[in-house]
Amino acid sequence: MKIIVPCKRVPDPDQKLRLNPEATDIDTAALTYILNPFDAIAVEEALRIRETAKPDAEIIAVSIAPAEGEADLRTALAMGADRALLVEHDDTLDPWNVARLLAAVIERKQPELVLMGKQAVDDDANQTGQFLAAQLGWPQATFASQIEFVDDGLLVHRETDLGIEVIRTSLPAVVTADLRLNEPRYASLPSILRAKKKSIEQTTPAELGVQPEPHVRLIGMQLINSQRNCEKVETATELLTKLREAEVIG
Amino acid sequence: MSENTSDIIIIGGGVAGLSTAMQLAKRGASVTVLEREQIGNGSTGRAAGLLGQLRGTAEHTRMLMDGVEIVKELEARAGVEIYVQTGSVRVAETPERAQELTDLIEMGQSINFDISEMPIDELAKKMPYMRTDDLTTACWCPTDGHLQPAELASAFHKVGRDLGVHYETQCPVTGVLLDGNKARGVQTPKGEFHAPIIVNAAGPWSYLVAGLTDTTLPTAALGHVYLTTQPDPENPVDRLSPGFRNRHNRVYGRPENGGLLVGIYAEDCAEFDMSSLPPDFDMSSMKARRDDLHLAMLIHAAQQRFRWLNERTPMHVTTGIMTFTPDGLPFCGQLPDHEGLFYCTGFSGHGIVQSPAIGVIMSELILDGKSSYDIASIEADRFWEIPGFQDRTEIQQRCYKMQSSYYGRVEGKTAAAAKEVGE
Repeated sequence: MKIIVPCKRVPDPDQKLRLNPEATDIDTAALTYILNPFDAIAVEEALRIRETAKPDAEIIAVSIAPAEGEADLRTALAMGADRALLVEHDDTLDPWNVARLLAAVIERKQPELVLMGKQAVDDDANQTGQFLAAQLGWPQATFASQIEFVDDGLLVHRETDLGIEVIRTSLPAVVTADLRLNEPRYASLPSILRAKKKSIEQTTPAELGVQPEPHVRLIGMQLINSQRNCEKVETATELLTKLREAEVIG
Repeated sequence: MSENTSDIIIIGGGVAGLSTAMQLAKRGASVTVLEREQIGNGSTGRAAGLLGQLRGTAEHTRMLMDGVEIVKELEARAGVEIYVQTGSVRVAETPERAQELTDLIEMGQSINFDISEMPIDELAKKMPYMRTDDLTTACWCPTDGHLQPAELASAFHKVGRDLGVHYETQCPVTGVLLDGNKARGVQTPKGEFHAPIIVNAAGPWSYLVAGLTDTTLPTAALGHVYLTTQPDPENPVDRLSPGFRNRHNRVYGRPENGGLLVGIYAEDCAEFDMSSLPPDFDMSSMKARRDDLHLAMLIHAAQQRFRWLNERTPMHVTTGIMTFTPDGLPFCGQLPDHEGLFYCTGFSGHGIVQSPAIGVIMSELILDGKSSYDIASIEADRFWEIPGFQDRTEIQQRCYKMQSSYYGRVEGKTAAAAKEVGE
């Protein structure tokens, strides 16, 4: 069985972000990038599927990124993915166009399962998996917290606000990973060294026959003011006075 | 005295600066601590805090033993637990390492330090989660343990505050004000601060701060990584399980929250150019990639000693930056080029445990002009004018080499090893 894991390269969300001088986007100058943590969970799940239910599984990590995106595909390879494909593209894409490119890759690779993060931690759009399933005409199981192979399909636990929903889907399907699906592994030393030697397949949107057509335009960005102005108060009365002054309480 | 004028300015709110500030204030000096970020946010906040009192020389051991007494006093004053006395073991799996331990036991006992050989079967009972079948020798120091870095920093801070120390956070030093070659104060985005004495306790940044007065400080900022496993019912690690050092494997560790903390002094480590990091760089936001090579080295080494531990073990990974010197010993005191500029940096991975006594030493150097300890081996000017310690690239190489060979070194022969590195 072939499993495709789309892997997004995202700025490390724990670093301090700055805006570019035009305030149209974050300043990418000194950013550190990582593999989207939800996609790392998807990679881990694919590895576990290969270790248990489907020993013959072939795991292909796919990223749409500038050439430097190779580094994050190496992360997936070092964790244990079999192969990697980089769709080289420099500009930011909206989820619809990411899904179109992924759909083109999937038509060529013919996987039985697409496992991906439920969202990327940079834009938090939570749309790509859903768009992709729609474009492919495949069933989707989003926010998976448990995946089990039954008969010819999957039994997927989904975490919703109302409780855990258990759904059954046929294959091929798109499954998006939630936070509690698993805890991803770190790469072992031999695995990192092996991953370094692996070649990464390269392609471009043009080769895939897809011309990105932006549906979303980013017109501006603002940083959230997270400056805390702490003040120490001596008594509860003083605290109440301050809270009233700030109109936090009536 | 105006708000921005004090007797002494300390640059850096990590344990070294905080301890020095507290000791100075205890003796009546007015002290201002300037911290670029938040108190204890640099290397202090990333430290493991392992306390091994037995060091290369009797004097260092005395410093660490006295440090424990200071910590006990702090605990009483601040009402927190800082020192966790778990005892510590050193283990050897080769004849050379075994000889090291034999020498160490001899040296320790000669200065009345509580150290003895521990039979391997006894060790196996004490640390059932550790592989012991390949060990030939182990030694046991019952009075060792670890200091909890956050609690230590906050106790220094709290007691210092009660003694009148003034702390400015989010206040990076951007310039040093001089009168000829005499210190006069510093520049910061919050304005000037004035004092005739300035202490550079800026940890990994200290060489950049020294650069503000065109002083070349032989320290380097080197990466370090340790992991902390989540509690594992199959391999419980009691909170009072011993700390351990396994030099052959390059790993050390201790219990932490029901799990095991393991760190490494690997042959290779990350090197940092602090000037290339963003000005608001926050060390507490550092994290390891899933395919971080140094972390993989750590896991690989840790697995040799703890068979149940591997890359899939649920764990928390801590990466940070240490300040190494070419001989692995700190820099305390003045350099000949400026008057009133003191250094208190370069703790090479041992800042937490050295900080209590270092505060005393620094306060003595500043207020009395000399210390009650023999500080020849940690004096800041020991490399001054020695060829090879003026060029950053060369300094970087020397410090890197020190880090790489740190766990390859024979304890008790510090001076010889330092000489070797210095050649």
